[in-house]
Amino acid sequence: MALVIDPAGDEIKALREAGNWRGKHVLEVGCGDGRLTLRLAQLGARSILAIDPDAALVRGARKALPEPYRARIRYQVGSVERLRRRKDLFDIAVLSWSL
Amino acid sequence: MTHEGMVHALRQAHRLLKPDGVLIDLRPAAKHRQIGLGEGKRWKFVAWMREDLTDDRAANRSVRRAAALGLFEAEAKTEFDLDRVMDTLDDFREWMSDFPSGKLPPEDERLYGRVERALAKVRPGTRIVARGPLSLVVLRRLDGPTK
Repeated sequence: MALVIDPAGDEIKALREAGNWRGKHVLEVGCGDGRLTLRLAQLGARSILAIDPDAALVRGARKALPEPYRARIRYQVGSVERLRRRKDLFDIAVLSWSL
Repeated sequence: MTHEGMVHALRQAHRLLKPDGVLIDLRPAAKHRQIGLGEGKRWKFVAWMREDLTDDRAANRSVRRAAALGLFEAEAKTEFDLDRVMDTLDDFREWMSDFPSGKLPPEDERLYGRVERALAKVRPGTRIVARGPLSLVVLRRLDGPTK
């Protein structure tokens, strides 16, 4: 299917203006195929945990993750409700089309 | 997800954020999308998509509820159009078929028909563009629920 989402890049422009991403630990909830995850990394996030309940989408996102981002992005099957309490909490959480 | 489920998800996001953390709620606004032909400034309206906005409105209520509970405080809000550009009517049908059951009204065929007739009047290769507003709300984490 030939589908291009947001060719003008308005979504990432709005996210850039929403806050300072540089060096931040980010949780992305509802990452899907990782379309937005890479863009968040490009904004300067130090680390991104990207979760989605759809295992097939997460597999696809992992497979498509470019090598330079592998140290910063981690994809995980799951939901925000099932994510364990962590010692290292997040600076920013993004509900990515998930509410 | 139900309204209560959404409020629960917001509580869980609150739990996972640092004390001065920020939650960004990014999703389609509770407004109908428009279908048009052509990209960018050449885009021309063809028809409205009359999708069911019940869940979108419930999401808005859940964010207001989370604020009322003292979990978050809205710092900023913006809306902007997001385009989905599709090459063919088949692509458009496939995209529509991805909507959850019940989200779209049964008169889809009328919408396809309008888009198909409009496509027949423009130069070959003109793309179908679904344009809909996205909402982005920045919510600052607060200390927690008020009693």
